[in-house]
Amino acid sequence: MNERRTMQIGEIVDNHSTAPDHFLMAIRLPASFTTPAPGQFVMVRETGRVEPLLARPFSVFDFHRYGEDCVLELLYRVAGRGTLLFSRMRPGNRLTVLGPLGRGFTIPDGIRRGLFVAGGVGVAPLHFLVHSGFRTAGTESLREAVFYFGARSLDLLAGLARLSGLCDLRICTDDGSRGYCGPVTDLLKRDIDDHDPKETVVFGCGPAPMIQSLRRLLDNNRIPCQVSLEERMACGIGACLGCAIAIGGPGGKTEYRKVCEDGPVFDIREILLTSPVDAQRK
Amino acid sequence: MSAHCEETGLNPPDLSVTIGSMILKNPVMTASGTFGYGEEYATFVDLNRLGAVVVKGLSLEPRSGNPPPRIMETPSGMLNAVGLQNVGVRAFISEKLPFLRRYDTMVIANIFGETVDEYRRVAEILGSAEGIHAIEVNISCPNVSKGGIAFGARPELAAEVTRGVRGATGLPLIVKLTPNVTDIAEIALAVEAAGADAVSLINTLTGMSVDIEKRRPHLANVTGGLSGPATRPVALRMVWQVVRAVKIPVIGVGGIMTASDALEFFITGATAIQVGTANFVDPAAVLKILDGIGEYLIRHKMTNIAELIGSLDTDPLTSA
Repeated sequence: MNERRTMQIGEIVDNHSTAPDHFLMAIRLPASFTTPAPGQFVMVRETGRVEPLLARPFSVFDFHRYGEDCVLELLYRVAGRGTLLFSRMRPGNRLTVLGPLGRGFTIPDGIRRGLFVAGGVGVAPLHFLVHSGFRTAGTESLREAVFYFGARSLDLLAGLARLSGLCDLRICTDDGSRGYCGPVTDLLKRDIDDHDPKETVVFGCGPAPMIQSLRRLLDNNRIPCQVSLEERMACGIGACLGCAIAIGGPGGKTEYRKVCEDGPVFDIREILLTSPVDAQRK
Repeated sequence: MSAHCEETGLNPPDLSVTIGSMILKNPVMTASGTFGYGEEYATFVDLNRLGAVVVKGLSLEPRSGNPPPRIMETPSGMLNAVGLQNVGVRAFISEKLPFLRRYDTMVIANIFGETVDEYRRVAEILGSAEGIHAIEVNISCPNVSKGGIAFGARPELAAEVTRGVRGATGLPLIVKLTPNVTDIAEIALAVEAAGADAVSLINTLTGMSVDIEKRRPHLANVTGGLSGPATRPVALRMVWQVVRAVKIPVIGVGGIMTASDALEFFITGATAIQVGTANFVDPAAVLKILDGIGEYLIRHKMTNIAELIGSLDTDPLTSA
């Protein structure tokens, strides 16, 4: 019999705004909480609250152990009622946390260079990856991290301060208020061909249009690429089948995978560039 | 056994109930589509403690389901349009059922089809598999040969599919009723007459939600099934209507999040209950509900759940 898993109760130790509509929350959890792997996520709800009904999924931004406690950090954008209510919570308030869940990033053998491509709040799982998986004390001298970070404007580069010094940062904004003016994938396009596909890997997370341009950019390239995807989900453990994403199955047939269980990290070449929903929008 | 019993030395109340020829150790089941094939929850819940596991709806062939977005939270509920995604009955038997056979709980296979013949064939295939204790028939699906009207929407269609499955299997037969009808008691009577051993109700209420900025539906399928606490008063009212109409056991389903929610259904006359959306909110919800039911019976000095079932007092209040 497997070890019984339970939801854990945590206490907010910090919840502050880092950019307009963006918040960084730190939650103290019991030491029994399993250490997340980069790319994994947690389902979070306010303890004892019956409405909103469902927990909300968040990628792990950072995680540390201090003696008897551990601290989980989440970087989130206020996108609806659930996140709006989270943004109003204060230190001392309690949260119920389920996780860590899902399959995170994998670092292929022999990799010397990671190209991180983040759009907006998509920086969260990539921050955790670069910080605790890709460039640790043992690998620092062996691996180079180039971090492409894009947002609509300078003030929306949430989490930027925590990236400084960790990697070679390449900033871009849609309005040109900092760094390159244009999409983050344009910036990557300029130097993607300089890298040896055997030694390089791309890790991405961001809005759907960014994932789609990343996919097109890598069409004629053999560099492996893993992306962390987002979809609404109810349970986080593979039962509700709500968080489906389309992939190209055998014979070009559309099949669905669960973001919660099969992901949230997927090989970018596996996912369908245009889902039936996107096709409807045209 | 609850901690309370151990402290007081009392015998735990008898929670067992009978559905057709099937005896459940307790009246708490998981609702189809909210508990996967059991395996998804086995690390959170001791499946041995459950009265029954009702598995995700099975069809003759695998179904890939609807495009996303498939779910949306609504006030005290959620809409889903998963589209009956499932591995198909044969893969269920070869890949999912062996896991469930390891547990001491009843396994109820929920089935659906687009024609009566499809329902029959799924039931036949399940009848030859070891470890299935009952069949629950989802009649909320469109009848392809009758222009897409749901089987469960008309008494004669509901009876036809029930007769079809009844003729294909000797297993206890539960028919799951849709609330999207004018008179649910009429449907319940029709499936009872057609050979159902029990009815479960309600399936989800058809609903819709719109993103006003994009002026698009929140679900790719436009409409979806509403579940969760928002549906509970409707489910309870329909259980009340059906228990007065039929003689077969009624299984209450709809927005049960806590033991007190479940108790409302027993008092109203449900013989058993199913826990659905609550499994998404708290993977251990079903056991908390089971424990709460036992504690209530002890507190009210009842030794058997039968004392509670249908004990609703609707007489006008008289003042002393």
